[in-house]
Amino acid sequence: MFLHILKYELKNGVRTKDLIIWLMVFPIVLGTFFKIAFGSVYNKTEKFSAIPVAVVEETENPAFRQVLDGIESADEPFLKVTYADRAKAEELLDSGDVEGIISSADKLGLTVKQKGLSQTMLKSFVEQYTLREKIAMDAIQTSPEKAQEIISSLMSGTVSSCREIPLTQGNPDMYIQYFYNLIAMVAMFGCMTGMHVTMQNQANLSALGARNNCSPAPKLVTILACLTGSFILQTVCMLLCVTFLAFVLKVDFGDRLPLVYPAAILGGIMGVSFGFFVGSVSHMSQKTKTAVLMSASMLLCFLSGLMVGDLKGTIAQKAPWFNDINPAAVVSDSFYCLNIDEDYTRFITKLITMAVITVVFIMLGFIISRRKKYASV
Amino acid sequence: MQVFKTMFKVMRSRLPSAMIYIIIFLAISAFVTSQSTKDNKFEMNRLKVCVFDEDDTPESRALTKFIGKHNDIVEIDNNRNTITDSLYYKTVNYALIINKGYAERLAAGETAELFGSYHMDESYSVVYMSKMLDEYTGSVKAYLAMGKSLEEAVSATEAAMSQETEVEMFRVDKGGDSHFSVDFAQYFQFMPYILVSVIISIVSLVLVTMNKKDIRYRTNCSCLKNSKYTFQLFFGSFLFVLFIWLIFMVAGTVFNKEMYTGRAWLAVLNSFIFSMVVAALAVFIASFEPKDNILNLITQVLGLGMSFLCGVFVPMEILSDGVLSAARFLPAYWYVRANRMISEEDAFSSEGVMKCMLIECLFIVVLVLMTILVRRLRYSSASIGSAVKKAAA
Repeated sequence: MFLHILKYELKNGVRTKDLIIWLMVFPIVLGTFFKIAFGSVYNKTEKFSAIPVAVVEETENPAFRQVLDGIESADEPFLKVTYADRAKAEELLDSGDVEGIISSADKLGLTVKQKGLSQTMLKSFVEQYTLREKIAMDAIQTSPEKAQEIISSLMSGTVSSCREIPLTQGNPDMYIQYFYNLIAMVAMFGCMTGMHVTMQNQANLSALGARNNCSPAPKLVTILACLTGSFILQTVCMLLCVTFLAFVLKVDFGDRLPLVYPAAILGGIMGVSFGFFVGSVSHMSQKTKTAVLMSASMLLCFLSGLMVGDLKGTIAQKAPWFNDINPAAVVSDSFYCLNIDEDYTRFITKLITMAVITVVFIMLGFIISRRKKYASV
Repeated sequence: MQVFKTMFKVMRSRLPSAMIYIIIFLAISAFVTSQSTKDNKFEMNRLKVCVFDEDDTPESRALTKFIGKHNDIVEIDNNRNTITDSLYYKTVNYALIINKGYAERLAAGETAELFGSYHMDESYSVVYMSKMLDEYTGSVKAYLAMGKSLEEAVSATEAAMSQETEVEMFRVDKGGDSHFSVDFAQYFQFMPYILVSVIISIVSLVLVTMNKKDIRYRTNCSCLKNSKYTFQLFFGSFLFVLFIWLIFMVAGTVFNKEMYTGRAWLAVLNSFIFSMVVAALAVFIASFEPKDNILNLITQVLGLGMSFLCGVFVPMEILSDGVLSAARFLPAYWYVRANRMISEEDAFSSEGVMKCMLIECLFIVVLVLMTILVRRLRYSSASIGSAVKKAAA
């Protein structure tokens, strides 16, 4: 009997157009848009690359030119210098080819178009040059005998005062987390499949429910078979989604991709059980249930950062406990931990959280829906 | 005007979901524009830095204080996971450790490895902060070499590093545009998403409903002239779009805190033309008679897709050239282009803006022509005949 019901549940699921649209087509489309929009943001805005700058030499300033040449010939140059006259430089700045114009006369001047970190860095570069000039002057005034030594030690690139302690081998691109949340969204949309299970077993809501209720099969078996069917369907959706992101869009999940799959599948099962629970709680119509589930899962995804990327970071500061229980955040965090952490402690904690939430929802769903009888429909 | 009245009855049923969109959009806009600053003065970027002071001497505290002058000092738990998360989500840009023995070693003129920093990636913030620290320690060392005491050297360094260079803002004489600031332009920039979502989901739905087989057959056998029917349909859609557009324009004056002036009217015109493009698009989609769930999908794909591709959500300069050249075939691209020119994010030229608006108008013409074509094909007697045959079979 179990297999019989399972077979029809699967057939039923495959023929539900909504399911295919929202669990398969929509994530693929949205993922593609995310890739287009966020694919190069990190490399263009966060990751450091030499800042293009135009230099206008109003008077000869060999010392400054020497400094610039020194910077440009370094292994990782800080600036990319273009020498130009004022008009040409302004044209470059206007078209966005350079971030700023440094004019070198007696004093250095800086012209920029907008406020931002690279402009701030240009400003501090100009200040740094002025500072060194001042120190050199101070040195000549206070202790002329040592001045030469001091100046040369200033000019020679000193050893870095700062040792960097690497935190992760993973992919530090924070925009990747939009994709994590996309997978979490698909997992949460699993609640729609979970809800269908209850629809088919509530006699007042669907013809199928009425038929199922008067069949001699035990309710436990019927529901278990339906749930298994939903889990299988959801698993397929999750596999498809992760595979598409990882292999077609080439999203970098870190070097532990095989573990992304089980996490995503467990997340999907959690989504289904969430829908199963909400569906069992009440006998509201399908429309109301859909509205409740959709808005609930979208809200959870929103709080996990699907629409506004830094929201999760803010919540982590203000109310860290919420990220530990928000199902969408747990799913997306599991991918994050897999990518960033070196050990598996946090990843496993997230998996256990998902498993616990799943079991709780399913148990509650069973408890609520057992012994429900329909005298008449 | 029966058709006209019916349309609005159908629309009313869909209005709540549209209102949710509109209200959320307006709330977010209110938040964004309330934070905008109208002056165009250069300010340093303030980084969020957290400092773990393991040395805890007057010198290390002086350094922390100095960093805090130009940056915001953030306190977080000294716990690897917290630090990793904060750096990843950029709630902290730089995590600095002042190593034990900092003051002693600095006094001795050593500058190597005085600090440690938790390193996530080679970002601008990291490069900026490490240069700043090198500069600080290098200067202190130089002053020490001049024979000053450590305390004097630190204060001399701080004094020297506090000298600020004047930064000129390019085009400040033209003032960006005083009538249409870059921040206010953001409000107009996000509009395509919301216009597409609201207009397509409602107008298409209404048109599809009016075009349902039973209703269409009933209308066809009434004494209402076909041209009148079409006119009322279009007039109703037009009024609805106008209504939605007006809501946004009125809200715009509220956010801007004054009536539109000067160049801002160009932006108003631009958004009006774009609303008409979207209306034409909605009619075009409706002529395919999509089912409810398919229509939802189309709305989402068009709304999100155009917004992501055409620089509505992410600024144009970040998108790759390939994406932008593909986006030229979408109306939102020209809308955003025009909007950027009006706000002087790109160089303004009235011909440029006119060109963008003309191209948007061209989209309207093409969409209308395509709609007529599709309707001809679908409702021509031949296709109806075959449909009837199919139904009979």
